[in-house]
Amino acid sequence: MKNEEYWNPVLETLPPEKLQQLQLKKFKEIVTWAYEKSKFYHKLYNDAGLEPGDIRTFDDIKKVPKIEKSMMRDIQGKDPFPYGDILCVPLDQVTDYRQTSGTTGQPIYQADSWQDWEYSTEAYAYALHAQGYRAGDRLFLPFGYNIFIAFWAYHYAGQKLGCEVVPGGVLNTEARILKMQELRATAMGATPTYVLGMAETARKMGLNPPKDLYIRKITVAGEPGGSIPATRKRMEEAWGAKVYDQVGSTEIGHWGWECRQQAGLHVNEGLYLVEIEDVDTGETIDKPGKRGKMVVTTFNRMAQPCIRFDVKDLIQWNARQCDCGRTYRLLEGGIQGRADDITKVKGVLLSPTAIEEVVRDIPQLSNEYQVVVTKKGDIDDITLKVEIIPEYKNDEAAIRTVLTDQLRLKTNLGYNIEFHEYESLPRSQAKSRRFLDQRPQHH
Amino acid sequence: MAQEYDIQGMVAKIQALRKSAEELKEISGGIPTVIRNAERILADVRMLEININDVAELLDK
Repeated sequence: MKNEEYWNPVLETLPPEKLQQLQLKKFKEIVTWAYEKSKFYHKLYNDAGLEPGDIRTFDDIKKVPKIEKSMMRDIQGKDPFPYGDILCVPLDQVTDYRQTSGTTGQPIYQADSWQDWEYSTEAYAYALHAQGYRAGDRLFLPFGYNIFIAFWAYHYAGQKLGCEVVPGGVLNTEARILKMQELRATAMGATPTYVLGMAETARKMGLNPPKDLYIRKITVAGEPGGSIPATRKRMEEAWGAKVYDQVGSTEIGHWGWECRQQAGLHVNEGLYLVEIEDVDTGETIDKPGKRGKMVVTTFNRMAQPCIRFDVKDLIQWNARQCDCGRTYRLLEGGIQGRADDITKVKGVLLSPTAIEEVVRDIPQLSNEYQVVVTKKGDIDDITLKVEIIPEYKNDEAAIRTVLTDQLRLKTNLGYNIEFHEYESLPRSQAKSRRFLDQRPQHH
Repeated sequence: MAQEYDIQGMVAKIQALRKSAEELKEISGGIPTVIRNAERILADVRMLEININDVAELLDK
């Protein structure tokens, strides 16, 4: 593997034992910084009887209290306004404001200094370089830039790599497609839902994306589709392009990505510490084969540090060593769901990605679907809404049988299956909300 | 793979960049464009440190 394959060959091929030494060193540094500069972290650690000097070995990391969204919600809105006393730098050093989308409650405010924003961009540059982006690529962003983090770092990282970036923000879908064609854009970043939706729109415009457009690389984020084989296959066939997954969040930054091998998500272990904990016992899961919840630390984001953030996303290590030569570990199947009550149905931890894998693997169904969970008496009731592509309308009974069997096999649950008119389910440009929990206890 | 590169040479140059940018700020006389652009340079220098200098310490051991 040539060295130009890596954004930073020194870090990305570091032997695992050295990488762990680096992570421990970085972890101690960010804990010390937060303890000294943030009243929030100082109190959190004091209350736990912990001082930064107590962290001596890698195992000591587990002694450090975790943070979660509810704690951040409690402190924000106060001085230093609006971030509260999690902030580690004077307000006049904050250059960037972003907030979470608030899909699980009140949005979280995120402060970044310019250096922090450089860090976010740097993390994304690792991803784009690993996916084959290079100077000479013309990147198109069919996305409305706004108060959320989505695709801002893609834009800046593209520039950092020397690519030409075309912001397609306020255009509608048809205009974006025409502009991409006019400029012969070679790559784009979008949510999986929008990637599929754009291809549908292009076809309605009489265009065949693989032949009439020039997009050959697509980076998807915001939804799990990029790591779901059936969804990736649909996107790649629709565009005649390679599709790569990328994961991150407002509070954490861009911690994982696929390389050109498409073997799973690499965790950027030079910039982030990702731990996996058993959902029930809290024990660390170091080995592949068992799913647990992600706890993540961002090493060098200084204004509003993210230390042992209990994300509640479910992930698992992959046993495979990637052929790319990176020593950064791989995850199996991307983000597999959430560890909280949101995805527990009939007592079973439901993985929405498993439902998507089943639906998108049936070619007679459209790209869209919706899962609605309600309660009938004391029992959870789950309905899957799908659309049959019109030319397969007569296959409804056979499709129902396949869906029922596959869903039972992949999720251990029985579903009410509803067939809806083609193109009647909601479409979205940003994160799609396909999982609707309408059980009373969640309101 | 790290042995293929002149890591210590890079470390020294990165340290010199930091020193130079910090000294530039000190002698800026308060000229905003000098201060703010030096700050931006220092943010990029920090990315170089994260990528090279912070790792170099471990490679020596």
